[in-house]
Amino acid sequence: MFMNNFEYFAPKTPGEAFELVGRLGKKAKILAGGTDLVILMKDKIVSPECLIDITNIEEFEGIKYEPGKGMVIGATTKNSEVQYSEIVKEKYYALAYAAGEIGSSQVRHMGTIGGNSCNASPSGETPTPLVALGAKVIVSSAAGDREMPLEDFITGVRRIDLKEGEILTKFVLPEPAPKSASRYAYMGARDANEIDCVNMAVNIELEADNQTVKSVRLVMGSVFVRPLVSAAVPALLNGKKFSDELVEKAAEAAQGEAKPITDIRASEEYRHTIVGVLARRLLKEAFAAAQEV
Amino acid sequence: MGAWDQRENYVREGKPSYLDERRFTQVGRSVPRIDGPAKAKGEAVYTADMVLPGMVYGKIKRCKEYAHANIKKIDCSKALALPGVLAVLTGDEAPNKWGIVPASANETALAVGKVRFYGEGVAAVAAIDEETAEAACDLIEVEYEPLPALLDPFESMARAGEVNIHENAPDNILHKGDQIYGDVDKAFEKCEYILEKEFKTGRPQHGYIEPMSAVASYDTQNGLLHLWASSQVPHYLHRQMSIVLEMPMSKIRVTLPAVGGGFGGKGEAAASEFVACLLSRKIGRPVKVTFERADVFYTSKGRHPCYMKWKIGLDKDGYIQAVDFDNTMDKGAYAGWGVVVMFYTASMVHLPYKVPNARSLVRNVYTNLPTTGAMRGLGGVQPRFAMECMLDELAEMMGISPYELKMKNAIDSGYTAINNMYVPHTEYKKCLQTAVEKSGYLEKHGKLPFGKGIGLAGGYYISGTAYTLYQSYKPHTSVTLKVDTEGGVTVLCAAAEIGQGCNTVMAQMAAEALGVHYEDVHVQTGDTEIGSFDLGSFASRLTYASGYAINEAAREINFKLREMAGGLLGCRADHLEIKDRMIYSMFEPKFKIEWATVVQKYVNSVGALSAVGHFSPPRRKGIDIITGNRIQGANIGHSPTFGFSCQIHEVEVDVETGRVYVKKVTEAGDCGTAVNPMSVDGQVEGSIMFNMGACLYEDMKFDAKGKHLNPNFHDYKCPTFMEMPDMDTNIVDSYDPTAPFGVKETGEGAVQPTFPAITNAIYDAIGVRFYQVPITPEMILKALKEKKEKEAGCGCGCGA
Repeated sequence: MFMNNFEYFAPKTPGEAFELVGRLGKKAKILAGGTDLVILMKDKIVSPECLIDITNIEEFEGIKYEPGKGMVIGATTKNSEVQYSEIVKEKYYALAYAAGEIGSSQVRHMGTIGGNSCNASPSGETPTPLVALGAKVIVSSAAGDREMPLEDFITGVRRIDLKEGEILTKFVLPEPAPKSASRYAYMGARDANEIDCVNMAVNIELEADNQTVKSVRLVMGSVFVRPLVSAAVPALLNGKKFSDELVEKAAEAAQGEAKPITDIRASEEYRHTIVGVLARRLLKEAFAAAQEV
Repeated sequence: MGAWDQRENYVREGKPSYLDERRFTQVGRSVPRIDGPAKAKGEAVYTADMVLPGMVYGKIKRCKEYAHANIKKIDCSKALALPGVLAVLTGDEAPNKWGIVPASANETALAVGKVRFYGEGVAAVAAIDEETAEAACDLIEVEYEPLPALLDPFESMARAGEVNIHENAPDNILHKGDQIYGDVDKAFEKCEYILEKEFKTGRPQHGYIEPMSAVASYDTQNGLLHLWASSQVPHYLHRQMSIVLEMPMSKIRVTLPAVGGGFGGKGEAAASEFVACLLSRKIGRPVKVTFERADVFYTSKGRHPCYMKWKIGLDKDGYIQAVDFDNTMDKGAYAGWGVVVMFYTASMVHLPYKVPNARSLVRNVYTNLPTTGAMRGLGGVQPRFAMECMLDELAEMMGISPYELKMKNAIDSGYTAINNMYVPHTEYKKCLQTAVEKSGYLEKHGKLPFGKGIGLAGGYYISGTAYTLYQSYKPHTSVTLKVDTEGGVTVLCAAAEIGQGCNTVMAQMAAEALGVHYEDVHVQTGDTEIGSFDLGSFASRLTYASGYAINEAAREINFKLREMAGGLLGCRADHLEIKDRMIYSMFEPKFKIEWATVVQKYVNSVGALSAVGHFSPPRRKGIDIITGNRIQGANIGHSPTFGFSCQIHEVEVDVETGRVYVKKVTEAGDCGTAVNPMSVDGQVEGSIMFNMGACLYEDMKFDAKGKHLNPNFHDYKCPTFMEMPDMDTNIVDSYDPTAPFGVKETGEGAVQPTFPAITNAIYDAIGVRFYQVPITPEMILKALKEKKEKEAGCGCGCGA
């Protein structure tokens, strides 16, 4: 229950932070809210000598939207801020909803969107919609920035592509396509304080006819070591007129791609079933929403 | 005076109050709870909040390797060498066995010789802070010889010859019993409708918010021990402490700070309490031991999983003729309340329906899983689940409404069951009627679209207990009332306020009995040195028991005050009534004087007033004085009166995901006089959520070696307020003339119908009956798939 003794740093500028991260290397963990990290430390799964708290650095925080260009979300933006942001809700609905489904109110007010991705839990809420929305991450260090899609940044269970001296600083979301909509859904035993047994996000873009799918992105969480981007669903739907039969096929295809496991929260079989259910529901919901845009 | 509760429907007109024993002014008020403001503001002091001068911290080293193992060696030397460590403790330093039921006491403060469940305490440490204590626990080296872990009661019985959990139980059975009344086999021969089913219940835990905590302070100068603890049973704790520490009870004082819930889980002593006391005595400094949530999961004694076989027979008109019940219970590692819970399951078949022939064969079997024990609605929930589901099914067999079948068989006031259990008063039929009418059950049942369903179930529970396993027949509750010019009215009783609201209703009843206002009364509970004797908060006994004792004590004080007032007013004392802070003549309005004035005159001339009242539970067995024969029956399970209730649940089943959503609950309860209707609502809503949890969500899980898989609130899923359905709770008009103020219980009766009401509603929704809880989404999907396959059958729709 008790954490090891550690040295606590609270840099105020990116420069200080990069210097600390570079200097302390593996000895340090980055603290960006702590709703996952502190639990891991109390359970002695990790025992870092130093913690570098990056939540006091203004440059790493906040939601900035530029019409036509898209959105930049600082890594230390609180999940609650994402949840309640009107512009996120309007432009990236799936993300706002997912942020609002993380843990409890207290957790959402402490935890950050960057932390949710860096924790790299397969059942994490925000990575799934972020990937569906085509988010890229900016990984920064004293040497400069690297940019990559979020699905490449998360490499496995609690594994991320963060090199020594680097900090995840931003998410960059492209401007949503004109006739597009995103939706998120999850399944668990209860509707709050839940760790999902499956979660999923769909981002769909329609042609001008309001019927033909121009492009679709379906991302599954909690059924693979990292967010799983469906290849089969776009292959089935892109360029086709949306129909219930196609949705059935797409849901089956998603089930075919998912690689769930059995654990305390659900069996492999149940997760498999739920992938189909959520895919059907989300594709229809997102399609209906996109028609309204 | 506060506002009368809007639902108050008792008619007060028509007769003078002295002829009307229901003419209450304080009982029946929905006053805010005495402990409410401090708790709402976060100012209530719980045990874990306490800090005493010089206090240090204790931690328990637990066995995390095995669920069953002999202890070969414990080496504490490295722990003792750690700076900041003051003492270590092992089980053999306090080997006296304790247990809530004296005859089956088999627990020790820490394991002696062997561990019998995963997470059992093997040693403890006192250190200057918790962090050091935890580090020291890690340094204690324990050598084990693993034994096979028995994780199932049937396996445990089958392998008893090879693996033995307790030396004195060679068959691995704590206790078994047969309770046979009438001729069951003969009765079945005459039955028109017979249903046989097997049921199984899960392993939920109480889920109280406050983990156990204890602060012990042993004074090395005078040999006095003071223990502050989070407990429902200060008296039992007091007694067990005396046994384990080998100290007279008069040298030990138990005090309860605010307690954050119990639901039965704090109805026994806890290792935290023994360890704190033993360590404090060892080092002469106050010691605090606070459990983490995982400790609670390892040690708190949740509900017994039951493996039940049932057979119920009805005659051609639908009257129950016979009930045959066989119950194998998973006791877990130690005895705890086990014998009591077991016999309660047997006695629960006798109510709330008329059962002329009943046979209960019950056994409680040791396993290497957490000890099971008392949990809200103890012994009632599992058999009630089965009986109410089976009556639903039997009604379908007969082609009548479950409501009709239950009304037909429901008992009336003055009923004596075949096991000699006596029900002085019941409004059970009124509960059924009210819930059915308010929910529109008859219009909805069987008629809702696929996926939506409505289910009905009834239930009852004891209200107080005749606890025949207690060591003596002294009164189970004593209350001292103190009246003076300084403190006003004070109620002194060593009862336990655990969040259930006993302090508030005791104040209301004392105010009623003494003719003053609720606001005039102070309540001192939770202290074995200050309060008069009380057995504890369990068996839904306190409102009844303390009400009885309060009345008795108040009679004595009122007698004295009336005599004084009669003298002052110049009228007869026995013409005087006391109500609403006034003493007045029943007949002549001119004779009237303020209560406080009379108290002042009395105190000035005679001295302060005090009186003690007692409550002893009734007994239903004994010796027939004419024949000399012993009369058996209604032993465990009897109580002075009983509460009744009916619940109707409306559910929606997501047939694709298997999730069950309880959308609306209509409840009607007979709690006798509702002393505080607002508090009754809280108890009932809490009860429904409590068992909704164990019906749909909550289950403790283990791996093949008995290691816990979900000892935390992440993975042990209690419903949250997101799962809370709309609730329409109704208090039916009821007054038990044999009870003090006409009261009955409401804290445990309302959990009884929840499992079967939900299960029956699921059947109504999707046409699948479940005989096992919790009913998980995966079970729903599997059952729907099987149903579909069966219906598809040969393809012709014949169902083959």
